[in-house]
Amino acid sequence: MNNEKIKEREGLVYDPTQDCKLVGAARALSGVKDAITIVHARPGCHCGVLLLRALGSNQNDIRIVSSAFRASEMIYGAEGKLTDAIRLSYKHFKPSLIAVLNCSAPAIMGDDVEGVVLAMKEEIPAEVFSLSTGGYEGPAWIGYEETLAELTHFMVESEKAENSVNIIGFKQDEIKAYSDLSEIERMLNSQGITVNSVLTNSNFDEIKKAPEASLNIVLGGDGLESAKIMKERFDVPYVVTPYPFGLNNSIEFLKRVSRGLNKQIDQEFISTEKEAIKERIERVFLFLEGIYDTSVAVVGDGGRAFDLAKFLSDELGFGIKVLAITSKNYSTQDREKEDYFESLLIEPDRFEMNRELKTKGVEMIFGSSMEKKLAYELGAPLVRIFYPVLDEVSISDSPYAGFKGTIQLTENIINAVISNYAGIIDAD
Amino acid sequence: MIQNTRGANFLRPLINAYNPLPIHGITAIPGKISGALMLVNAITDAVPLIHGPVGCAFQRKINPFRPHASFYETPCTDMRDLEVVYGGEEKLRQGIKETYEKYHPALIVVITTCASDLIGDDFKSVIEGIKGDIGCEVIYTAGDFVGKSKPIGYQDALYAITDQMLCEGLEKGEIVKNDCSVNIITLPIHNAALKTAEMASVLREMGIKINKICFDHTTVKDLYALSKAELTITDYPLAGIRLMKEKAGVDYYATVGLEKYRERKEPELLSPYGIEGSARVFMEIAKRMGKEGEAEEVIERRKKIAVEKVSGIKKDLEGKTVAYSGMGCLHSLEQQMLLRDVGINPGLVIYKTSGLGLLLSMDAMEEVRNITVEWARKYGSEPEVLINPTTKEEIKAMKEKRVDLAIVSSLNNAVHEYHKEGIRTFNREDLMLHYQRIGFECPVELALRLREALKEPQKRSPLLCMLEYDTLRVNLTPEWAKLADIFMSLRGGVVGDRC
Repeated sequence: MNNEKIKEREGLVYDPTQDCKLVGAARALSGVKDAITIVHARPGCHCGVLLLRALGSNQNDIRIVSSAFRASEMIYGAEGKLTDAIRLSYKHFKPSLIAVLNCSAPAIMGDDVEGVVLAMKEEIPAEVFSLSTGGYEGPAWIGYEETLAELTHFMVESEKAENSVNIIGFKQDEIKAYSDLSEIERMLNSQGITVNSVLTNSNFDEIKKAPEASLNIVLGGDGLESAKIMKERFDVPYVVTPYPFGLNNSIEFLKRVSRGLNKQIDQEFISTEKEAIKERIERVFLFLEGIYDTSVAVVGDGGRAFDLAKFLSDELGFGIKVLAITSKNYSTQDREKEDYFESLLIEPDRFEMNRELKTKGVEMIFGSSMEKKLAYELGAPLVRIFYPVLDEVSISDSPYAGFKGTIQLTENIINAVISNYAGIIDAD
Repeated sequence: MIQNTRGANFLRPLINAYNPLPIHGITAIPGKISGALMLVNAITDAVPLIHGPVGCAFQRKINPFRPHASFYETPCTDMRDLEVVYGGEEKLRQGIKETYEKYHPALIVVITTCASDLIGDDFKSVIEGIKGDIGCEVIYTAGDFVGKSKPIGYQDALYAITDQMLCEGLEKGEIVKNDCSVNIITLPIHNAALKTAEMASVLREMGIKINKICFDHTTVKDLYALSKAELTITDYPLAGIRLMKEKAGVDYYATVGLEKYRERKEPELLSPYGIEGSARVFMEIAKRMGKEGEAEEVIERRKKIAVEKVSGIKKDLEGKTVAYSGMGCLHSLEQQMLLRDVGINPGLVIYKTSGLGLLLSMDAMEEVRNITVEWARKYGSEPEVLINPTTKEEIKAMKEKRVDLAIVSSLNNAVHEYHKEGIRTFNREDLMLHYQRIGFECPVELALRLREALKEPQKRSPLLCMLEYDTLRVNLTPEWAKLADIFMSLRGGVVGDRC
C-alpha cells in the first residue's frame, strides 16, 4: 500500500461534504415509483429535499410533500398537519406507499408520528410507515440503509426464479442513473441474467416481490444492510460488486455476479465489448497519451468513488492525488487498504479537503456540483460524477457505467481537459 | 439593437434556467437559514456558523433564491443526539473559536436551527462569553427578531447585524456623520450594482453623496459605516433598517410606498418605476435631503432626454394591439412604463390568481385587479379583462383582438402555446428579473425591447407544446400542480402569510 495516510476530520466545526439521514431516506424512497414521501418538518427541510430532486433530471417525478407546519405548531404539535398531509397525498396521488420522514423539529417536539401513522393506516388503502430522520441522528448513508431495510419488511416469501437478480444500491437521482441502469441490465442480459427488482427503481409491488430473485447484487456496498436482512429472512444470497466504472470494473462486476449464480461467464461478450472499446479509444489515442499521468482528485461517495478512482488510475493512467470519500457505507473500511490513491480523506470537512486538494497539485476534479467553486479557483476541469449534480442534466442514453460507459467517460474526460478555458490566457 | 454588458449576457440565461422552479410559496417555502445565508454570503468577509446538524448545513448550500450560485461555505457545529439531550452550548462556544481560527473572518454569524432553537441553547450568553477571546465580531440570528417580516431569515440577519453589531452600545451623538449622504440597501438577490447605478448617478448629480450601497461587495467595515448616512433608501422598510433609524438616527425612505398607499390608496405610490415614478422618487429623496433646488434641474434634464429617446421609439409601437398579464402593484410595469411612458394600448388584460393564494387575500387580489383596470382606463384604454382563463381562451381572445404582442409572464402564461399560434410575446418576468430599476433609462430600454420583440422571428413549434400542462397552473405539469394544491391546502387557511 503506497497511500500516504488516511485522514479523518481534524476539528469540531464541520463544513459537511455529506447530508443528513433525511436526504438518504428521501433518495431511497424516490426510487419507489409509486410512493409518496412526506417530509414532516419545518419548511426549510422540505424545500431542501425538493430542490435536490428538482434540480436534477427527474423534474417529471417529484412526489415529495411537506407537512408544512408553522412556528405555532412547534408549540402545540404538528400531528394534525401530518394527518392532513397523508390524507391529501393519498387523495391526489393514490400511491401504494406513503413514507413519513420525521425530522429534527417534530422529533424533539415529541409528535406522536407513530400514532398518526397507525390511525391513517386504518383510514387509507395504502401502506404507511414512518422513519426517524432527525438531522442529529446520523448521516445520509445511514438514512439510506435504514430505508432499504424498512422496505424489506414489506417483502413476501416467493419462489425463486433462476438467473434472476435484484440490484441494490441503485440511486436514480445520480447523474446518468437511467443510462447506467440500462447498461447494467444489458450486461446482465448478455449473460442470460434478468433483473427482478431494483432497490430502488421499481414500484412498490415489484419491491415486495424482490425475494423471487436468486441473487442480490449490492452495487459498491450501498444497501448492504438490506441484502443481509434478505439473506436471513428470504435466503437470497448477495454479492458486493464494484460500481462498474471502466473496463476492469465491468468485467469484475460480471464475474462476481456469475460466480454468485454459479454460472460460467460468457467470454465472447466480453471480447466483443473490449473490441468495441479498443476501436473507439483508437480514435483519440493521441489525446489519451497526452493526458496520461494527469494529477486528479476524486470526491464522492464510498459506493462509487473507489471504483471510479481505480478506473482512472489503472486504465487512464491518472495519478489519484486525493480520494475524498464524502459519505461512507458499510464496505468503506474494507476498501481503505486499496493502493491506487495517494491520500484518502474520509468524510472530510470541506475546508480541510479544499486545502488538501490545493496543496497536492490537483489538475482535474471528479466530483459533484459542490466542487464547482474549488475547481474554478484551481482552474481545473470538473467532471460531475457524484451526487448531487445540480448544474448538469442527463437525459440522453450515454452511461458512465459498464462497457459503454467506459467510452462515454473517456470522451467526457478528454473533452473536459481540452475544452477548459479557465486561465488559459494568463497561463499562456 | 440593445447592447448587453458581458455580465448580463452570461447571467441572463443562467438565472432564467432556474426561474421556473415552483418554490417560493407554490410547492415549498425556503426556511430561515437560507434567508440568513443570503445575507451572510453577501458580506465578503463574513462567515456563517450554522448551529445544528449536518443536514442544516449541507442542504442549505443550495441557494433557493439563486440556485445557480450555491453557498459553498456553510460550516456547522455538527449537532448530534448528545447535544440534543445535554445542550449544544459548549459545542457552539468551541465552534465559534474554531471558525475564527480556520477562516479568520471579520464577522461570524451564528445561524440557529430547529434543533438548537428547540433545546433552548442560550446563544446570547455563549457569544457574550467568547467575544473577547477572538478577533472578530460574532452575532446570532434565530429568526425571532422580526415577527413575520419576510423573507424572515434575511430580515432577521440584517436586524441582528444592526442590533448586535452596529448599534451595540451606540449613542446617537457619537456617530460622525457623512454629511448629506445616503445608503442604498436592496436585497442581495437583485444585482445591486447594476440596478442602483443610475440611481446613484442621479443622486450624486443632485449633490447627494452615496455613503454605501448594500449589498455589492460589502464588507464588515462598510456595514459599520452605514450609520454615518443621513438616510437609507430601500425597497421596503426592513426591520433592521427601522431599527437603524431608532438607534442610530438614520432615517429611511422606502421606494415602494406601501405604508403610504395603505393610508392614501393612491396606486402611483406603489410604483417607483418609469419616468414619472422615478422622478417622484428622486424628488422625494431630494426633499428629505434638502436638495430640492438642485434636484429639479437634474430630474428635468434627465426626464427630457428619456422622453425624447422614448418618443423616437414609440412611433414604431403606435397602432399595435397589446395583451398583457396584470399583476397590479408591486412590479407595476404596466402603469408607469407601458401605459404612460411607452404609450401602449392594451386590448386585453389577463389575470392569473392561482399562484397568489398564499400571498394575497381575495380582497387584496381584487384590489390589485381594480388598480390595473383603472390604470388602463386612465390612459384611454378599455381592455377586455380575462380572469383565470384557460390557455385556449386566452389565445382565442388574442386572435379576436388581433394582438400583435402579448406582454406576459413566462411563469403564469403558456408562452410556448402562444408562439405555436403565431402570437409574439414579451416576457415581463425577464424584464423584472434583469432590467427593471428606478431611473430614466429603464423606460427607454423597455421601449427598445418591445420594439425588438415585435420584430422577432416567429417561434413555430416549441418542443414544450408536446407536454401536458395543468389547465390553471399553466407552467406546471399535472403532477407539480398536485404538489402545489397540497401545499396550498396545508399552508393556506392560516392567518399570517397574506396581506
